[in-house]
Amino acid sequence: MNNAFIVGQYVPGESMIHRLDPRSKMVIIFLFVIVVFLANSVWSYGLLTIFTVLTTLSTRIPLSYIAKGLTPVWLLIVFTFILQLVVTKEGAVLFQIISYPIYSGGVAQGAAISLRFFLLILVTSLLTLTTTPLEITDAIESLLHPLKRIKFPVHELALMMSISLRFIPTLMQETEKISKAQASRGVDFKSGPIKNRIQAIIPLLVPLFVSAFKRAEELAMAMEARGYQGGDGRTKLRELRIEGIDYLAISVFFLIVIGLFLTRV
Amino acid sequence: MNKKKWSALDLTMGGLFVALMTVGANITSIAPFMVVGGVPITLQTFFAILAGLVLGSRLGAFSMFVYMVLGLAGAPIFAQFKGGASIALSPTFGFILSFIILAYVIGKMVEVNRGLPMYITASIIGLVINYVVGTNWMYGAYIWWFGGAPEGFSYQLAWAWMMVPLPKDIILAVLAGIFAHRMERTILSKSQFRMQKAA
Repeated sequence: MNNAFIVGQYVPGESMIHRLDPRSKMVIIFLFVIVVFLANSVWSYGLLTIFTVLTTLSTRIPLSYIAKGLTPVWLLIVFTFILQLVVTKEGAVLFQIISYPIYSGGVAQGAAISLRFFLLILVTSLLTLTTTPLEITDAIESLLHPLKRIKFPVHELALMMSISLRFIPTLMQETEKISKAQASRGVDFKSGPIKNRIQAIIPLLVPLFVSAFKRAEELAMAMEARGYQGGDGRTKLRELRIEGIDYLAISVFFLIVIGLFLTRV
Repeated sequence: MNKKKWSALDLTMGGLFVALMTVGANITSIAPFMVVGGVPITLQTFFAILAGLVLGSRLGAFSMFVYMVLGLAGAPIFAQFKGGASIALSPTFGFILSFIILAYVIGKMVEVNRGLPMYITASIIGLVINYVVGTNWMYGAYIWWFGGAPEGFSYQLAWAWMMVPLPKDIILAVLAGIFAHRMERTILSKSQFRMQKAA
């Protein structure tokens, strides 16, 4: 469980998608989320689907793993489709289910909306499947750098993200330890009326906060002792670099967008 | 926006609150308490209120913003160890957004007056923000993603749905107010974090 937070949903790999600079991945996905709404014909949806499927396959992440991550989403997609079938009353009547007419417009509408939803979910999860949270943190710091002009604390954002990633497993273990320690002293978390159980939070939270504050102070002291004075002039261990493969990916994506404009009606 | 530069201690405190939010979101998987009728109860709102009360408006809201960004970046820190950019499309994302707003408002309120009544009032107002933003977002998400309001799902129904966890959340909000006020008088008032503010 310890590494789970640092790694997140990330599946290690050497594929082209893995090796892309996290910044180009983020920009492409951000644009994809917008252009998905441009599709309005069979061909344009087909183009987006092919692009998404090929990208997914090229990550070489087992499809079963991806499907597992999407489990809660399937239900939503099926629900959306059925809802559109029932609600839309356009086009010709295709057939009847127990005297309830199903219209062709409903099938088309339902298929389009659930496909769009599916594509969005799949593409956005590809980002987190092929990129570690730390890489994304670096990418965010770099991409948001221009916001420094309007005094948005970009460096602080990235630093706070890294600090939390480091402390989440620690605090999780701490909470577990405290809850066991208090249970051994007779605190009952499991039974009794709700009121008592809510009260049982207190003996859990007080030690948790005391130790959290102590950790925060110690880390701050350690940072200051090593000369931390904010982001200005700080150098990095991991440098991000845009390479040929990134230009290739961005060009392919722009071809898709042009194709999308040509195929929409 | 950045009136005063944050010190290293401000940043570590903010980071720890992000970690505490993760603990709060998944508390049932650690301490096996408060699974009411099979539904695990989260303490996210509780900790978001505390972030506003303890860290203040700017740092509190910023720390909740970091929580959101880090979760979207794929760290499994939301409820049920979820995470990833696709969460932004989920109907319950509004609640995560509301944490930023409520921490800011609560922080502003207690920066004016640090009495116990103010702490409790601020917590309740924070809870109201949480519900209003979250429920409207949920309703909006259904309308947007499912292409039009389905007949069975009305705005009233969305709110009726939210009434179930309300009593427990009100108790927790009041508790958060009292808890933060106690902490302020005991550990926080003597801590480095408050000393540097005074200096």
